[in-house]
Amino acid sequence: MAEVSVRDVSKRFGATAALDGVSMDFADGGFCALLGPSGSGKTTLLRVIAGFVAPDAGAILIGGRSVARTPVEKRDIGFMFQNYALFPNMSVAENVGFGLRARKVGAAAERRRVAEALALVRLDGLGDRRPHALSGGQKQRVALARAFVTNPQVLLLDEPLSALDKALRVEMQSELKRIQREIGITTIFVTHDQEEALTLADRVGILREGRLIETGAPREVYNAPSTVFAARFLGDANIFEGRAEGAVLRLPDGTAVRIPPGSDGAAAFAVRPENMRVSLAPPDAPGVDSVRGDLVQRVFAGAMTTCVVTVCGRPMKIVAPDREVADLPEAGPVWVSWDRARMMAIPHP
Amino acid sequence: MAQPLGPGDARRAALLLTPAYLWLTAAVFLPLSAMLFFSLLSDAPFRGADWRFTLDNYRAFFATDVYATLLWKSLRLGLTVTALCVVIGFPCAWVLAKTIRGRAREALFLLIILPFWSNSLVRVFSWAIVLRGNGALDWLAGLFSSGDVRLGLLFTPTAVVIGLVHSYLPYVILTTYLALQAIDDTLIEAARSMGADRRTIFRRLVLPLSLPGLAAGAVLVFVPVVGSFMEPRILGGRFGAYFGTVIEDQFVAVFNWPLGAALSFILLAVVLAILSAAAPVLRRAQGAAA
Amino acid sequence: MREGGGWLSRLGVAWLWAVLAFLYAPIVVMALMSFNASPFYQLPFAFSTRWYADLWANAEIRAAALRSLVIAATTTAIATALGCAAALALFRYAFRGKALLQALLFPPIAIPWLITGTAMLIFFFGVGLGRGAPAVLIGHVALALPYVVIVVNARLASFDPTLEEAARSLGASPWMVARRVTLPWMAPGVVAGALFAFAVSFDQFVVSYFLARPGDATLPVLIYTSIRKGFTPEINAVSTIVIGVSMAALLAAARFSNFGGRR
Repeated sequence: MAEVSVRDVSKRFGATAALDGVSMDFADGGFCALLGPSGSGKTTLLRVIAGFVAPDAGAILIGGRSVARTPVEKRDIGFMFQNYALFPNMSVAENVGFGLRARKVGAAAERRRVAEALALVRLDGLGDRRPHALSGGQKQRVALARAFVTNPQVLLLDEPLSALDKALRVEMQSELKRIQREIGITTIFVTHDQEEALTLADRVGILREGRLIETGAPREVYNAPSTVFAARFLGDANIFEGRAEGAVLRLPDGTAVRIPPGSDGAAAFAVRPENMRVSLAPPDAPGVDSVRGDLVQRVFAGAMTTCVVTVCGRPMKIVAPDREVADLPEAGPVWVSWDRARMMAIPHP
Repeated sequence: MAQPLGPGDARRAALLLTPAYLWLTAAVFLPLSAMLFFSLLSDAPFRGADWRFTLDNYRAFFATDVYATLLWKSLRLGLTVTALCVVIGFPCAWVLAKTIRGRAREALFLLIILPFWSNSLVRVFSWAIVLRGNGALDWLAGLFSSGDVRLGLLFTPTAVVIGLVHSYLPYVILTTYLALQAIDDTLIEAARSMGADRRTIFRRLVLPLSLPGLAAGAVLVFVPVVGSFMEPRILGGRFGAYFGTVIEDQFVAVFNWPLGAALSFILLAVVLAILSAAAPVLRRAQGAAA
Repeated sequence: MREGGGWLSRLGVAWLWAVLAFLYAPIVVMALMSFNASPFYQLPFAFSTRWYADLWANAEIRAAALRSLVIAATTTAIATALGCAAALALFRYAFRGKALLQALLFPPIAIPWLITGTAMLIFFFGVGLGRGAPAVLIGHVALALPYVVIVVNARLASFDPTLEEAARSLGASPWMVARRVTLPWMAPGVVAGALFAFAVSFDQFVVSYFLARPGDATLPVLIYTSIRKGFTPEINAVSTIVIGVSMAALLAAARFSNFGGRR
């Protein structure tokens, strides 16, 4: 186990910059998610750390030592592939034991550690199966066991859950979290699923077009994003844009909205959909602000209902428990309100 | 996955590729070039024979219409055999691809392909045994009529066609089967849901989609049939003179190698013209099968 | 259109069986006749193995059979080794001219063997090699090689390259990656390619016909010259054996390759 540092790494593929001066530190024993839309460079970053891709510039440090001259097989990593890449010609036990055999730990130790790893991923007794005889979730566990059984310095997971259906994915998320805690290994995982990143990681990094635009603890990044992109990518955000005049923001149609104190120079303001309310009359409560809007759509989705309200010509999304909005008409003029403390000032576009 | 070459990779790739391609060069490409050279000589340059460059061998082709007639005869044979293979093979491929499922399909597919890869000479010979006077076919025909039946099929052009269709039919079935198999059943179901009848589906959907495979099979039958000589020799008897047999004669009976080389080269030119004309179709068929 | 075409699909299946009968009937007849006692193929059929006994007594046929087997085995070894190497390089590396190299595999398959065979004859005489077993061997390898490359390449095409990455990430040396991951994947393709090479050589008549020395013939060449002298049940017997051997080799190959058909 070790900390991992990425120092100013750049990588071009032809004309496109897959990574553009990315620097990030991954704490020893931490669980970090790299998040971003497809093509943002997150998988490339993971493959650079693993050594599958050589960076054009910059350095990777594992445990404080540069691995520029260390080939993949000597880096002491565990890598889990999106398609799991289980060896079809080997049994589950042989798959999991492959890395131990490469390290020549001896037959007895190999057997013992494979059994331990399979127990940890709750696959005891399936060691003799072939990969094709496993379900998707089982394959995922084998791939995970294979990646950590050698007790590598760092565990790299490339979209580890994306091949699973939703129910299984949620179950595996908690499994993954449990296993990572138990073995306490430095883990970096790539995902495009923001909810997964927030659930699993103790730290997230958001990439966009090859640049790392935001890092931090999930709650911190979610509640106080520093860019509009991050605010929108990590969860939904209703953005207010306009001219700041002292303590108010003047929207294009002239409406004034109070903004949090000390937010001079902010690029935009945003409120999360779950922090907004829709009502027929403006609520009269201290610290609550509201604007007039037009309800255009109401979508029932079980526990929560999503309302789309046009404010100042732009659609805003509000998520509320169904009972709160059940009395509203299908469409028509409404008020959108929020707790002033819930408004986020976003410093960068 | 193919990766761009790193510094050491270029050497490694060359090391892996060179032996195979050197062999192909020495055994196929240089000989083909040598044949072109040879076809321009007045005499085989062995044992101190006097030789010079000449176009006489090609002139010989045009001087009489013997060779042109035989080439035309071979091309016609190719067309006949190809047409029969397509007509007989397409329904087979269809049934195999769309009617029969599971293990039965695998087994039947193998049964059809197996003869194609087995010894063609022996298969042609087996037809000689069946077709010969007083042979198995005559005996079979005798069961259905009274008296001695003599169909006398051996040593006729019909026998040559039967033998060649037998030899190359599996090829058409193979390529067509691959093309038909690639047609998603839901496409046909979609067409039916839109009210298309069976004939429309075949004409507008199945035929266009399977055409590359069918055409590939046709070309791959036509080319070797035009160059066949063993089948006409065994099954054709005195009707068995074709362009291929004339070339064979130049090398094993008449020993006029330069003329043989020129005729071979003319045949090669015809073959290459056909292959290159069909190249786009062949590529598409390959893409569909992959 | 399984449903809604009841009589039509029954007709199609019947057609398929008729074609199969057409493909196999002559072979079966030939094989039966090799067990018929009459030297003139006379019916009714009287079972006898005398023609096989005659074959065994015929030193010329035995020598030709042995020669065919030796040449086929040697061809298989050489073509498989060279073909696998080339297939691996074509699979692994991207480089300029790769498409050309791949296209060059097709002339030996697509050009009629009559042309290839006569061209080889001319060239081998020109360089002083002449006819004989070495010339036959060189020719056979050239014809078998493209099949090996294509079959092995087809197998490799379905290889998931992340398997190699996975092995490396687990600490495997390049040699261990090759031995435990890549080669086991290739193996069925290699076996199928080898069996194809064997079949191409063992069944090869045209090229052998032009390249073999008289008195130094392979089995198919000997069969051909015998046929041209007249049909004898002995030829039926040897032909039956030849087709039995090649079908057995191909059935074995089918276990490892699907001849381009998808399973």
